[in-house]
Amino acid sequence: MLNVLGAVLILFASTMFGFRQSLQLSRRPKQIRELIQALQRLETEIVYGFTPLSDALQSAGRPFSPAIAALFQEAAGRLESDQGRTAEECWARAVETVWADTSMKTGEREVLERLGCSLGISDRDDQQKHIRLAVTHLQAEEQKASTAQQKYAGMWKSLGLLAGALIVIIMV
Amino acid sequence: MIESVLSVLSHHLKLVIRQLSAAELSELEELRIRQNRPLEIISRGRSRFLTADGTVTDEPGKAYHPTSEDCAKLLDLLTNHSVYSYEEELKRGFITISGGHRVGLAGRTVLEQGQVKLLREISSFNIRIARERTGCASQLLPLLSDARGGSILLVSPPQHGKTTMLRDLARSISGGYTCGQIRVPGRKVGIIDERSEIAACVKGVPTFDVGPRTDVLDHCPKAEGMMMMIRSMSPEVLIVDELGRDEDAAAVHEAIHAGIQVLATAHAASLGDIEKRPGLRTLYESRAFSRYIVLRKLQDKVRVAAAFDESGSALTLAAAAGTSGR
Repeated sequence: MLNVLGAVLILFASTMFGFRQSLQLSRRPKQIRELIQALQRLETEIVYGFTPLSDALQSAGRPFSPAIAALFQEAAGRLESDQGRTAEECWARAVETVWADTSMKTGEREVLERLGCSLGISDRDDQQKHIRLAVTHLQAEEQKASTAQQKYAGMWKSLGLLAGALIVIIMV
Repeated sequence: MIESVLSVLSHHLKLVIRQLSAAELSELEELRIRQNRPLEIISRGRSRFLTADGTVTDEPGKAYHPTSEDCAKLLDLLTNHSVYSYEEELKRGFITISGGHRVGLAGRTVLEQGQVKLLREISSFNIRIARERTGCASQLLPLLSDARGGSILLVSPPQHGKTTMLRDLARSISGGYTCGQIRVPGRKVGIIDERSEIAACVKGVPTFDVGPRTDVLDHCPKAEGMMMMIRSMSPEVLIVDELGRDEDAAAVHEAIHAGIQVLATAHAASLGDIEKRPGLRTLYESRAFSRYIVLRKLQDKVRVAAAFDESGSALTLAAAAGTSGR
């Protein structure tokens, strides 16, 4: 009886693990796409609106899913509240704080951190160039992420179940 | 007052400045930060340097040398992390921060069609500390009554307290004042504050006390601003800083003929200089101003050095005060 229960638990856990991996894979390209859109909104705010950075970040991130919105809100909040910290530091801390809640990987993180170094410190033309560069890099990452999703998302789902089954068989 | 200056400095610079004694802080006039060069302070008109442990020295070699990081941080905090939204200010070469302090900037200029477009790689900052000196204009009030509603031009070289004086005049006139035995009721005052120095507006609201009946046009070009004020706000007294260009003179004429009293300042060491500056000369020749007051800073106090009437003949100060007492 206990054996059966254990086997069911193992099967359930490994299947869930597989599903989670597959979900992460399919969320990643979606979040990168949202991030790109948010950065484009930020560009508009900066280049055409002259909006101060904290307000620009607030409004750039607002329409997107919680993971992306949180990054922009966090950065904007830190710019307002962290006295004496530069925009670069605030942005880096915001990335650090929210990263675990996103499905994105180190490639995107590096792009964002590089963008942070130039955020707000130059004139509009320069800001536009930096944001566009970041967007281009993110688009490349998004390509990779989409391919990975197509290749492995289905695989992870079955792999989880099968791995569970394997463990059960070995243990029995 | 000094807190708003400290809030834009990098952590390291803040530590250095904080070590100054309260007396030294209260006398601080300018703080000059130049990348990789000695940190300079100016107080009581005297230039000295600051070492890393906050002692004041005359030797530049011993002074603290602000790093590129200090400067980058300063610019980031000055512009509220948004250099791009300060392009207009960077073009003009200064930023006014809350508290009315003006930060002058120098660096590499970027040109567009021969005109300065903006500053990049900013490496020199001059933080001019603004102080409100309530009551400093009381010495001018007899002269003001003496002018009988005529316009007045305050004259002095830079850093001799014209703007401080003008601000206090605005406050006194707008709130009403007592001169001798006579109580002068408050009047409507319009300030055209092109460089945000007189009222130090933050988001349109003055941070200095400029009186209860005062309207401020912030960041507005003087000539245009004077006309806007006359059309829209019906001021009885117009206050403008640093007249000089021809269009300023035309606008002053316009205002005076509209029956408005104009109180203005101009950079000049004496009345003779006024006659030499083209924009001001036309005003002088047409006797637009009925009083010229030359200011001098002596031992940290702004004093009236001389006063002249509309034809340029000197008034003795006692006589000026005497006539008002009549």
